[in-house]
Amino acid sequence: MSGRVLVVDDEVEMQRALRTGLRYHDFDVRAVGTGEEALREAASWRPDVILLDLGLPGMDGFATLRALRPATRAGVIVVSVMPGEKDKVRALDLGADDYVVKPFGTEELVARIRAVLRRQADVSAGEPIVRSGDLEIDLARRSVTVNGRSVHLTPTEYELLRYLALHAGKPVTHTTLLRQVWGEYAVGDKYNTRYVVAQIRKKLGDDPANPRYIVNEPGVGYRMEAG
Amino acid sequence: MTRRLAPYSIAIVGALLITGAIALIASRTSVPGLSAFYLLLVLWLGARWGGGPAVAGSVAAFLLYDYFFVPPVGTFTVSGPRELLELVVLLAVALVTSQLAATLRQTQAAAESLATESRALYELATAALRSPEVTVALSLLRERATRLDSVSRFDLVAMDFGQVTPLAGGKLDAEEMRQAAWSYENSRPVGIAISDGAVKLVRTLPASAAPAFLPLANGVAVIGIDAEHPDPDELRMLAALIGLAALLLDRRRAGLEAERARGFEASDRLKAAILSSLSHELKSPIAALRVGLTALVAPEAHLQPEQQELLIDLDRQASRLDHLVGDMLTLSRLEAGVELEKEPHRFADLIGTTLRQLRSDLKGHDVAIDVADDLPPVEVDEVQIGRVLTNLFQNALEWAPPNGGIAVGAAARDSVLEAWVENDGPSIAPGDLDRVFETFWTRRARGSGLGLAISKRVVEAHGGTIRAENRRRGPRFTFTLPLARVTAER
Repeated sequence: MSGRVLVVDDEVEMQRALRTGLRYHDFDVRAVGTGEEALREAASWRPDVILLDLGLPGMDGFATLRALRPATRAGVIVVSVMPGEKDKVRALDLGADDYVVKPFGTEELVARIRAVLRRQADVSAGEPIVRSGDLEIDLARRSVTVNGRSVHLTPTEYELLRYLALHAGKPVTHTTLLRQVWGEYAVGDKYNTRYVVAQIRKKLGDDPANPRYIVNEPGVGYRMEAG
Repeated sequence: MTRRLAPYSIAIVGALLITGAIALIASRTSVPGLSAFYLLLVLWLGARWGGGPAVAGSVAAFLLYDYFFVPPVGTFTVSGPRELLELVVLLAVALVTSQLAATLRQTQAAAESLATESRALYELATAALRSPEVTVALSLLRERATRLDSVSRFDLVAMDFGQVTPLAGGKLDAEEMRQAAWSYENSRPVGIAISDGAVKLVRTLPASAAPAFLPLANGVAVIGIDAEHPDPDELRMLAALIGLAALLLDRRRAGLEAERARGFEASDRLKAAILSSLSHELKSPIAALRVGLTALVAPEAHLQPEQQELLIDLDRQASRLDHLVGDMLTLSRLEAGVELEKEPHRFADLIGTTLRQLRSDLKGHDVAIDVADDLPPVEVDEVQIGRVLTNLFQNALEWAPPNGGIAVGAAARDSVLEAWVENDGPSIAPGDLDRVFETFWTRRARGSGLGLAISKRVVEAHGGTIRAENRRRGPRFTFTLPLARVTAER
């Protein structure tokens, strides 16, 4: 078994299709149709990843996510039909690890689930060096190198890069970056993060029109390429 | 008549009294120049009643003085030049003082009437502007206007979005309605004009009983002026009232427009809600289809290769359906009026994001990027412009030869950014260069004909333009975007 996946979707057809598809990829799958059931299963069955549809009847996806987050350490992938960027941001700020837009293919979903599982493993292993292509960030020594060449970053630039590196593969919202880099009561907006990211890219030799390390998540924030 | 003669009687009585007083003083002592007392009387008469009584007073004074005190006493004979001079002085003083007094009185009267008028207007305006209902305020106005003696009628009708609505009074017959509408539509007053802050009658027929029409901001004032020689003060007052009415009608229109906007907003919200539920209804079955079809492709499903191929084909069809539904929903959303989240962005970032998303589709194609480092940022909604770039790249991918070149670039031109996406595929027939942006128009048998239509709408929503042209090597799509006022990097 490569992991436990809890599917939260009110459509029986979707539940069945996901159960079949994910079992073929060696996941242990359970499916429920409401937020309340999801909370119960999360507590008793302890899944590794929860696929949470935002359009649930009754207790909606956002409310479920808010209730889930303090109760479980499972990765949460939010699933939604044509979500607006604001929905994505809201879900991420509420603690979701990723979002997938319906409809999607099984392969795509499996890749996302594996990425979340890998991140969980990395975090618990406390790996001190994060790599993205030929970019290397040594968290213990606070050093950044591209192709072995050392790059000098300002403390703000390093903090931002470090946070993205710690969450490599996960989309990070502008608000989260602001809070993490500038502090809880930071006064600022997206322009701050955009400016710093532009500076980091310049120093890393990353072409904004063809970025290798830090990728834009339109309307949401940034994501560091994992691996 | 008696009222007009009273000042003259007072003048004569006054002259007699002063004569008595002078006689009394003269009998006791001998004082020269007692006739100066008459000047006091003449001054007072002139100041109080004007020229006529003052002259009468001075003539009476002269005659009495001449008769009783000027030797030979008891006759009206003027014996010497000294007496003649006294008469002339008395008369001159009478005329000059009365003239001065008259001017003073007129100025004072004008000031008083202005004060009354402005107080009345102020009170009316306050009452009118305080009342929450504009129609109530307009009725107050109407009541004040018809209290003027010269005004027989003061009706206000509103012209709401081409409809005549009576507001204050406003019982118009069919002919009057027609005239009011004509006056409003042509913004031309009929039978009336306002100049120098007063209403002026413009009549071809003398004292015509037909009312005058005056177009205002959002309505028409229908005014009847009775008198052949109306009071100029009242006409000034009327002009002020009309000005106030125009203000009130304007306020009413603003209120109506706000109400209408609220209505549109509600209907926009409704549209958005319908579209959102529609997208859920249309996309959910496709979602289950795609997960199911792709699940069975896994080796663990133990299907034959041709069965797997069939499933992959079916999933591709489901994907096409998904894109088609997505494009149609996007198009209807754009038509319902999408709110743009405009922010300064570097165009290179937007290209990078799109190329990243299309990475797997673009495999095998060489994309040349021509964007200068110092390109000024654009003020756009990154998600929507991402859509435009995605559509243009997908279009280029359809037409570019295998492994053929696709190029994207941008340059600043005047106050806009001009961006282009081109490919080395076959050129577009000259007659079709405009048509490619039409909804559902496509050059391919399987195309949806929505991608370029969506792109055009998004670009136009940003205030830009988009066009297709043929270069020697293949078609190019060029669009413009507004430059940001501030730079993305401060």
